[in-house]
Amino acid sequence: MTDPDQREGLPPVPTKATRTYEAVYIFDSALEDAAINEKLDRFHGLLSAAGDISVEHWGRRQLAYTIKKRENGYYAIARFDLANVNVLPEYERALKLDDSVLRYLISLHERELGAPPMSEEELARRKANDDDDDEE
Amino acid sequence: MRRQRKSDPLAEARIRFVDYKDDRLLSRFIGETGKLLPSRLTGVTARHQRQIAKAIKKARYLALIPYTKGSQG
Repeated sequence: MTDPDQREGLPPVPTKATRTYEAVYIFDSALEDAAINEKLDRFHGLLSAAGDISVEHWGRRQLAYTIKKRENGYYAIARFDLANVNVLPEYERALKLDDSVLRYLISLHERELGAPPMSEEELARRKANDDDDDEE
Repeated sequence: MRRQRKSDPLAEARIRFVDYKDDRLLSRFIGETGKLLPSRLTGVTARHQRQIAKAIKKARYLALIPYTKGSQG
């Protein structure tokens, strides 16, 4: 598909348009909730994001395999819009340096319906293409 | 004679985009050892299979689903 928002893994194309990013953090589950919120505020302060940063807390859950000898982690997911992508390296550096972040993943947010929202006509066309995919 | 195509379980669930954070959904598409299942077994469309493959790789990195299951755990 040619939707530019789906080009995950590739560096974002420099453009003036804002892009929505999604970051998943796995914190050390031994950390207090207050400390986690404080760290999130510090990381997000580096972003100077356009608009609000929405944070979804999953809380503590078991890891599927051990990371840094930990069995559990505290999951938090943040979504933010950036107009200026130059702030990302500094932000990512802060994440890397913080030992209480067991793991993180920053990716372009993939929307349920693509962006901008598709018209009915476009949806119908896509549906036709989907069906074509299967022909052998 | 051509075999009947299985119906796409994702299309039936009205999922347009596979989310890598939905580990319960993704676990339906990995086998007993943690490997990706071929779409001929699950019946998903080629388009959805590509999305699932990417989503599973991200979910593995985030320790939501295991890289391998079984012997070593």
